[in-house]
Amino acid sequence: MAKAFSSLIVGAFGSQKALLGSLAKATPLLLVGLGTVIAFRAKIWNIGQEGQVLAGAMCAYWASLWIGPLPYLIAVAVLVLAGLAGGGVLGLLAGVLKTRFGTSEIISTVMLNYIVIFLLAYLLDGGPWMESGATVAYHQSPPVNAMLEWPTLFGQGAAKLHFGFILALGATALSALLLERTPLGYEIRAFGSNPTALRFRGTDISRLLLVVMLVSGALAGLAGAGELFGTSHRLRAETLLGIGSSGIVVAMVGGLRPSGAMLAALFFGALKSGAIYMRLQSGTPAGLVSAMEGLVLLFFLCAAVATRVHITVRSEAHA
Amino acid sequence: MENLLSVQNLTKRFGAVTANDNVDLDVRKGEIHCLFGENGAGKSTLSACLYGYYRADSGVIRFKAADALRLGIGMVHQHFVLVENFTVLENIIVGSPDLGILLSKSAARRKVEELCLRCGIELDLDREIWQLSVGEQQWVEILKALYFGAELLILDEPTAVLTPQQSDQLFVILDGMRRQGLSIILISHKLREVMQSDRVTILRKGKVVATVETSTTTAEAITALMVGHKVTKRVSDRSVTPGREVLVVDRAVAIGEWGEEVLCDVNFTIAENEILGLAGVAGNGQKELFEVLMGVRTLSSGGFHLNGEAIVAPTSREMLDRGVGLVPDDRFREGLIPEFGIAENLVLGWQRKPEYRRGPFLDRGKINALAAHKIDEFRIVAASADLPVERLSGGNAQRVILAREFLHARGLLLANQPTRGLDVAASEFVYEKILEKRAEGFAVLLASEELDDLLRLCDRIAVIFKGKIMGIVQPGETTLLELGMMMAGNASNLGGQVNDFSSKALRQ
Repeated sequence: MAKAFSSLIVGAFGSQKALLGSLAKATPLLLVGLGTVIAFRAKIWNIGQEGQVLAGAMCAYWASLWIGPLPYLIAVAVLVLAGLAGGGVLGLLAGVLKTRFGTSEIISTVMLNYIVIFLLAYLLDGGPWMESGATVAYHQSPPVNAMLEWPTLFGQGAAKLHFGFILALGATALSALLLERTPLGYEIRAFGSNPTALRFRGTDISRLLLVVMLVSGALAGLAGAGELFGTSHRLRAETLLGIGSSGIVVAMVGGLRPSGAMLAALFFGALKSGAIYMRLQSGTPAGLVSAMEGLVLLFFLCAAVATRVHITVRSEAHA
Repeated sequence: MENLLSVQNLTKRFGAVTANDNVDLDVRKGEIHCLFGENGAGKSTLSACLYGYYRADSGVIRFKAADALRLGIGMVHQHFVLVENFTVLENIIVGSPDLGILLSKSAARRKVEELCLRCGIELDLDREIWQLSVGEQQWVEILKALYFGAELLILDEPTAVLTPQQSDQLFVILDGMRRQGLSIILISHKLREVMQSDRVTILRKGKVVATVETSTTTAEAITALMVGHKVTKRVSDRSVTPGREVLVVDRAVAIGEWGEEVLCDVNFTIAENEILGLAGVAGNGQKELFEVLMGVRTLSSGGFHLNGEAIVAPTSREMLDRGVGLVPDDRFREGLIPEFGIAENLVLGWQRKPEYRRGPFLDRGKINALAAHKIDEFRIVAASADLPVERLSGGNAQRVILAREFLHARGLLLANQPTRGLDVAASEFVYEKILEKRAEGFAVLLASEELDDLLRLCDRIAVIFKGKIMGIVQPGETTLLELGMMMAGNASNLGGQVNDFSSKALRQ
């Protein structure tokens, strides 16, 4: 027991390499978490992050096949935009289904997850993106063009931190500013509290919903593109699946605040990174970390309910 | 006379706030006893303690001279607790312990029919709730309480949702119950109803100010006791005459969610320096009319002009930009963001206005300064400008809306039930502000269920019934009774049946 925990901690923070690995794992979680924060603050229940992460990676991969020789920085910028666009369009699609047909975004985003997952399976499994010469069993694309790999900040090999981490930190600051300081953020928060009043007061709430879904999906898409071009370099479903759902947990545990999501992402990134080392050292199944993720979420939700009970008791005094 | 209920030194605190402070109250057998006071005076808390919803912190409640509670006290809430698609009978007997596993309705039916007869209630027990008028639904609530053996009935603001005629009918029924020896506690802040009770207990800031026999006092004396000083009721300055037309509504027709006509051929105009009253029972198209004028509901035919310009397919953005101010009837649903503080709510609808921005960001400093100023000007009672408005009282929340609308509106003010749920002093504050706007040259559309108020404030009064304007009348030439008849859908059939209560009401 003690050995498992100590190896978990060593694996997460024990060396520069371990620390970089933790930050690298935190990067996509943070991006997805921020997208989730923005949607959930508006009480728009986008839970299609899994599909949006994949869509971002797929769109960026597709772009990488098409772009010709470009200066390196411009090429990377194109891939970033493609990642944003892939996730954003998928989010937007769920938004349009809601504004046009009143489809619950909870249903549509989950269903779109399946469509995207199976589309990727087709593309990699005998489809045009299958690694040529490989057997069907690999389910992965050939490596991306090495010229298009995202710049590395620190480290090398398995434990390196790509520049997506900077993007994620920037996105954290921008999300916080957006939500707390801008008129759009005001509208997002107001939508979460009372969309009817917002509609009476001159805001086009259908448009607002589309914007929120677009931004939320785009951040998830960027996470997918970053994983592909910064870390794994091959398009492969297994490396991407799970990021979306962990990102939702990150947003919830972070109290639906960008700064909170950052702390939560670092925490869960460390857990994920340490889990691998823990398995090697103590034979503890890494799956336990996923279970821990669930437990942490449950505890945080319980704590949130507990604080709300407290507030209700006090606010009775004002009634 | 025998006391059915006696309360001694009842105190109920919520945190630092004392809602009921050493309250004494006795209710005699066979009397209508009114609890009268402003919002927050402690009427509802007291009745909730009697009904057993709250437990009093200290004090004694004796019912039938015993320490027994719960037995024989019935409560009719402001918002009915009925199952829409059950029949009247089913609603009355639901939850009754002596029904057994197999519903035996025939015995229950006999009992309910007998109750109806005793109280003079005429009601078809087999109709479903949704088919009943609001007044009839209230009778079902009363029957339910009586069926369960209530000897003391507590009615919380029972007439808030009724027409004057329905209110009169209710008082006929209450009178019948009183003669049967039942006791009634009536919570109200309407003077007309207070004067129909036997005794009235006046509460102010949680304390009992006085208990008086209604027959030995006057409405003015009771009001003075309630607020602690004399209230001057403002009237419209008739020397100011309306100017050019601001709003012209022309043959407006709107269709509701179920394909029904919610507005049928509505025509009226409002001019500068004019208040047009809109009288009607809630749910007769007032809400839809305000929504149309605010740009959140589309007309199926007809239209309206603002300052001489035809308004085609407006959005709420356009109407706000054209200077229309709206005080909605459901203030927490349509007028405020409950989780936002006063400061943020003051710029709701104007959050993108350059005035409140610095570059791409909201100018917090400026908005907070504005809030501090408006809290002062509108005498909003709040711990801080960041306190979520959902924690404000109805009166203070309404002041936030008024502050916002009066700051941004130019030329036209739409006020739907602006004094709903407010006490006398808070209502007068709202009216004072509306009259100020009239003097400034605003055109005002004022919908209210308080007909006395419409009569003293408005330049003209339009009466709406089932989406139709039944007529537009001059306050000086119209009586309360005529308005009531029109509100019930009779455009011309005046002078019909007048019962004791309405004539008594008219004399005041």
